[in-house]
Amino acid sequence: MNQNILFLFQHFRGRKNRCYKLAVRSVRRAFVKSTKARKEKKRFLRALWITRIEAASLEHGLKYPAFISNLLKSQVELNRKMIADLAIYEPKTFKSLAALAQRRRQEGFLAALGDGKEPEGIFSRIVHHY
Amino acid sequence: MAVAAPTARAAALAPPLTARRFRFPLPGALPPPARAAMASFTKAAQQWATFARAWYLLDAKMQPPGKIAAVTAVRLEGRHKPIYHALSDCGDHVVIINTRHIAFSGNKWEQKVYSSHTGYPGGFKQVTATQLHMKDPTAIVKLTIYRMLPKNLQRRTLMQRLHLFPDDVIPEDIQKNLVEELPQPRAVPKRLDEYTPEEIAAFPMVWTPLPELDLNSHG
Repeated sequence: MNQNILFLFQHFRGRKNRCYKLAVRSVRRAFVKSTKARKEKKRFLRALWITRIEAASLEHGLKYPAFISNLLKSQVELNRKMIADLAIYEPKTFKSLAALAQRRRQEGFLAALGDGKEPEGIFSRIVHHY
Repeated sequence: MAVAAPTARAAALAPPLTARRFRFPLPGALPPPARAAMASFTKAAQQWATFARAWYLLDAKMQPPGKIAAVTAVRLEGRHKPIYHALSDCGDHVVIINTRHIAFSGNKWEQKVYSSHTGYPGGFKQVTATQLHMKDPTAIVKLTIYRMLPKNLQRRTLMQRLHLFPDDVIPEDIQKNLVEELPQPRAVPKRLDEYTPEEIAAFPMVWTPLPELDLNSHG
């Protein structure tokens, strides 16, 4: 009977990887912790993605808040998971995203400092899909 | 008999599941950090290059130790890489030279206090930044970086990858490893005596003095 669930506590430390009575308590705690950790996992992974995007965008001379806000203003609705994966596996794509964000940032500065007299830049135009 | 029985008994007593390694992720497992293995044979060199540990040089002359420490801590942890993960040990080495010539802003040389306790009664010691710097020219930078790293067991390992030198002199074996020099965090301004007479003459007049005022006479 115990052999069926041995895999659940086989990797524990101490007597709880051998003795059933001790293992039962530890396995129950392990299940409870794993249930509660599902919410924290989402927070942890998002923080990890943000750290990775920050590292990659600093390589291209942009800080993370500037990068993300300008990407959203250019209507690029990629989530942090995809941007982090692009930064690792598609560096040239990430470089073009960083250039897009930088260009939109400059257009924002021009619009703010020029009192609206300069025409709006190309990347500042909002495209309505409805 | 004596040879056959132990093996048979051992086989009967050995738990049947030790040979099998369960591969499915156990409950609550997070996606694993990228490791320096597991890529295809043809991409091996690319993976080694990605996960290699680099050696960086940083000149701390006329720099505030806080800014030096911020840059260094990021590099030691590996947060400057898009492949960062806390468990994947992706930090780099940092060599800091000229720690004797760091520059605190304001009155911190006199006002900043470094405290410690020897553990014995009456052993609370407080030392100003100047006194500590005279005693050990690398201590200020070392403490600043130590306090900026994450407060976990990895901190001591990361401190071992930090190399501090009070002056320009670096040992040969470390010098051979250096890959890149990091830019200084603070732009050092030029002193008045470092400007050439031509630059001083070429500087634009920002105000016209009245003819009565004779600025060249010391009177």
